[in-house]
Amino acid sequence: MSSKPAFKVLGRDTQRQDGVAKVTGREKFASDLSLPNMLHARVLKSPYAHAKVKRIDVSAISDPTVVTLTPDEVPDARFCPRLMSTPEATYKDWTVLTSKPRYVGETIAAVAAESEEAAQRALESLVVEYEEFTAVFDALGSMEPGVEPIHDYIELDEETLKVESNIACHLEIEEGDTEEGFRQADHVVERTYRTNRRYHTQLETKSVLVRPEPNGGVTVWSTTQTLHNTRILLHEIFGIPMGKIRVMKVPIGGSFGSSIQVNPVVPIAVALALKARRPVKLSYTREEDLHDHCSYQMIFKLKLGADREGKLTAGHLDAWLDIGAHQIQAYPLLGCVVGWWVSLYKLPAKSYVGKAVYTNKVPSCAFRGYGNPQITWAVETLMDELAEKVGVDPLDFRFMNYIGEGDLFWGQGPSVKSVIHSCGVEEILTKGAEMSDWYNRPRAETQTGRHRRGWGMGRGYHTSSAGAPVPGTVIDFGGAMLKLNEDGTFDYVSALMDHGGGTLDANAKIIAEELEIPHHKVNIVRADTGTTVYDVCTHASRGIYSGGGAALKVAAQVKQKIREQAGNLLDAYPNALKFRYDQQREQAVVYAEGIEGREITYKELAYTMRNKNLGTIAAVDSYRQPSCPPHFTGYFIEVDVDTWTGKVRPLRVIAGADIGTVINPKLAKGQIHGGLAQGWSMTVNEDTPYDPTSGDLWNRGFISDYKVPTSMDLPSLEAFTVFFADTYEPTGPFGAKGIGEGALNPVAGAVANAIQNALGVRFYELPITKDRILEALKRKEVEA
Amino acid sequence: MKIDVTINGRERSFDVPPNTLLLNLLRERLDLTGSKYGCGIGECGACTLLLDGEPVLGCMTLAVDCDGRTVETIEGLGDGDGLHPIQEAYLEEGAVQCGFCTPGFIMTTKALLEEEPNPSEAEIREYLKGNVCRCTGYVNIVAAVQSAAGKMR
Repeated sequence: MSSKPAFKVLGRDTQRQDGVAKVTGREKFASDLSLPNMLHARVLKSPYAHAKVKRIDVSAISDPTVVTLTPDEVPDARFCPRLMSTPEATYKDWTVLTSKPRYVGETIAAVAAESEEAAQRALESLVVEYEEFTAVFDALGSMEPGVEPIHDYIELDEETLKVESNIACHLEIEEGDTEEGFRQADHVVERTYRTNRRYHTQLETKSVLVRPEPNGGVTVWSTTQTLHNTRILLHEIFGIPMGKIRVMKVPIGGSFGSSIQVNPVVPIAVALALKARRPVKLSYTREEDLHDHCSYQMIFKLKLGADREGKLTAGHLDAWLDIGAHQIQAYPLLGCVVGWWVSLYKLPAKSYVGKAVYTNKVPSCAFRGYGNPQITWAVETLMDELAEKVGVDPLDFRFMNYIGEGDLFWGQGPSVKSVIHSCGVEEILTKGAEMSDWYNRPRAETQTGRHRRGWGMGRGYHTSSAGAPVPGTVIDFGGAMLKLNEDGTFDYVSALMDHGGGTLDANAKIIAEELEIPHHKVNIVRADTGTTVYDVCTHASRGIYSGGGAALKVAAQVKQKIREQAGNLLDAYPNALKFRYDQQREQAVVYAEGIEGREITYKELAYTMRNKNLGTIAAVDSYRQPSCPPHFTGYFIEVDVDTWTGKVRPLRVIAGADIGTVINPKLAKGQIHGGLAQGWSMTVNEDTPYDPTSGDLWNRGFISDYKVPTSMDLPSLEAFTVFFADTYEPTGPFGAKGIGEGALNPVAGAVANAIQNALGVRFYELPITKDRILEALKRKEVEA
Repeated sequence: MKIDVTINGRERSFDVPPNTLLLNLLRERLDLTGSKYGCGIGECGACTLLLDGEPVLGCMTLAVDCDGRTVETIEGLGDGDGLHPIQEAYLEEGAVQCGFCTPGFIMTTKALLEEEPNPSEAEIREYLKGNVCRCTGYVNIVAAVQSAAGKMR
């Protein structure tokens, strides 16, 4: 049990400030925006998975008003569209347009015209001559000798690197004597796992609107998780002074990691707008969007050893990451994969070899959890198998080995280490076991009949931010500005993005808690790069822990200034002043306790300061958080498997989460609901396989052929229980941690273990589709 | 082609090419961007609106087929000052995250509750299955529909 302070604002459900706009259709997303005199852009996508563009002929375009853009008209700077790492960890292999397409759908040229239809007609008039190369679609196959190189040279920190065997980058780590650790093990299990390649299916396709400005700059409205990195990248590509690039905050229609990088549409539209000297809008079709990004497919060879009591002794992981045709964050991901892995369970000795491999497929990027759902699925599956060998219940096996309070933790990779100060693992697992009657669940292979039921559990975590006591290769800090308005309200200005989870509202509540006012008195300002200090990106479940940390820091500074100014006006000692909220006046009051007449409301203070020309009470500051505390989650899931059709249905879900102080209970639970849905279909539905002949996606970019769950596929309200552990994170704002990614990470492991519990069959490849289940059952029958 | 359409209670006349989609008419001519473009081919439900009270997809409906008919979009809900009970319920239940699918869900909900004021959870799930949400796992959305049904009874 934690000893949490009593909160006035936090922990209560409040309505989101952007709520009315969102339910009335008045919210404008990037794809909804338009400007007078705007041109519509369309892009030419490569029909080949690997080719060279020999010639582009634009002369057949009959419309003289069409603006075209070809690879020789854009800056040839190589860049990495994702700027969360220091230069020595940022591999660059992108250009604005390419004359060497490396996947079906890579953009070669672009046009802008008076209407989308006119742009499409112009696009269809382009004549392009290609020289086709052989393409490779499998990460392991791509490293074979004699395979056509996908990139000859790439750049790292201004140095040119030659790419060998299509390996984009690699990382090896060893801690302790792994060989000795395995010698000490009484039981060793080694398995090979292959994950799926999932598409984010964020509801808004990647979109941008760019307005060229008379000063040579541009104003940009785009689908992004990071305003400031968008500006930095545009500056680096186009050389426009940063002050002349304004990246505006617009709400984003879902992202799940797919806009951590600056979306390729952004520099293309900027180049078109600069050439056309008119505003340009570029909004992808769904088919184009499905050819724009996906998750990392990973192949793992994982080996764990345990002694006869059930203590893990050693682990080894070989990981091959299929990154597609370009690097977005392959190298940092190699670090995170090992980080996620070794921070789940205590391994006295561990070794890791990770390779990121190019293939001629859509570039992979972060997808909620950034590799954590993938490796946690493999680990949680293998932990069940190893527990069985040791002869202990899988839940007890986890109790014996999990990493918790006081342990060193490096989830975000080897350069981001910190110590855990809050941990709800025990509470989550104990409660979940009780609620699911875990120890009385059916045993595998005891059931007969068409429908088999099984329970599975999986646990995991994600970091809240990528903070640490010392700098590493991951950049992580944010900032905020807060000012007192003349009516006693506050403006909260930050570059942080809200993906929909209510992050900015949570931070407004943190400010309100500190300043002892209701949260509606804190106005969330939709700002831009020119009016905010740097914030790295809303990713890594850092919005509340880091963004809220920045909000709290400036709120405390503002509070101190209020004390000082009020102290002067009231002839009182600033540090003796107290704060309370007066419901009748709807004003916070600063007062000297017990002394009549020595009080002033925020409104009176601000007005008085204005009238006496004393200035505005405001604070702006940056904040680097000292740690990246894990938010822990655990799932207990019961499934029904139809052995005739192979269909798996969720029957019951019990989810526990340790997120420290809960700020918005309904929205925090909403993160778990969404995490379960994504994890569920990661396990049984989603994949983007390729047709090796055409080099294109089998689904050709249609979401009808990329199954995400509908309202019919998920458990009923009554069958889905979410609870929060009672914890308090000492380094977080009012004890809060993140939740977004931990909500998803253990789901696939829990579902896979439940399927095993129902059928007595283990699966080593995702998704566990109906076909794979039927095939496995048939094989089992034959073997029997 | 000349068409007359009542949109959110107002009669309007347009001259449109025959291949104009209702969604584009609303978004591009009237700046009614509450109906979202999510796929353009009837896969996601983000452009759901009501045509003579029936839920249809704006991206699958030709503007010329709306001649003489009544279109209601998310912008037509509520009375200007106050929210419609469905909109209130979506906010109260935390059914809105990124909000991109929300207008489509709200319009589908309106059609459902006009057809069946007292739907069971299974009926709600069945009726909403053509609207994709990637944020909420549908939990708070289903709860919001139940709550809205209660408010409207």
